[in-house]
Amino acid sequence: MVTFDRKQIAAYAEASGDHNPIHLDDDFARSVGLPGLIAHGMLQMGILAVVAEEAPGGRPLRRLTCRFAGVVVPGDTVTFTAHVSGPGKLDLRVVNQRGEPVLTKAVAEYSP
Amino acid sequence: MTDGTGVAGRPPAGVAGRTYPPVSFEIEPERVAAFARAIGADPNAGVPPTFAAVYGLGVTAPQLFGDAEAAVDFARLLHAEQEFVWDRHPRVGETVVSKGRVASDISRRGMRFVWFETDTTDAGGESICRSRALFVIRS
Repeated sequence: MVTFDRKQIAAYAEASGDHNPIHLDDDFARSVGLPGLIAHGMLQMGILAVVAEEAPGGRPLRRLTCRFAGVVVPGDTVTFTAHVSGPGKLDLRVVNQRGEPVLTKAVAEYSP
Repeated sequence: MTDGTGVAGRPPAGVAGRTYPPVSFEIEPERVAAFARAIGADPNAGVPPTFAAVYGLGVTAPQLFGDAEAAVDFARLLHAEQEFVWDRHPRVGETVVSKGRVASDISRRGMRFVWFETDTTDAGGESICRSRALFVIRS
């Protein structure tokens, strides 16, 4: 479970090199129809990878895929749950505090 | 128009099949550690898997965005879907090479769907990571 905040989003922008102002500037984000600045989809996917690697045998990860389904704003709490769906395969469920999907079609694969 | 024509500079059929020149990236320890901390990973546990968004897609996507003929409007773009497949993860200190290509470029009902693939190899040409990104650009 991760509660996103501005500091982490800014840290990810710096660390990833993705300084798109939709992740850094509330006014800019609103000007393009967003509720305010949003977390990078790739930041969420980075955390998804951390969760997937926690599965027994999860390292090294061989494949990771997801669809960026929902917007995440500072203050949102996102829950990541993994369940084994086959040998070396995890289906991951990623929802916010309202139960809305944040990442969908989230699958991780590792060597079984 | 539903097929996306009318956008200045872009060939009507899009730029499917376009490939870009390879780009090198050195995987520096401080950069890896900062990235790991930003996503809550152990900064001493090697290169986090999604650092591929930096060493791979992160160096090839700007080639697409900067290609006037591709006419990708960054302001209207959403990164909708992402897949990584790793043959192995790179080591800190390695230099990797990435090549991007537009796998498909389809416009339908005012939306443009671009699947952009990036292949990352090590200095010896061995595969490290294959990335597939779906960019959705609204008209």
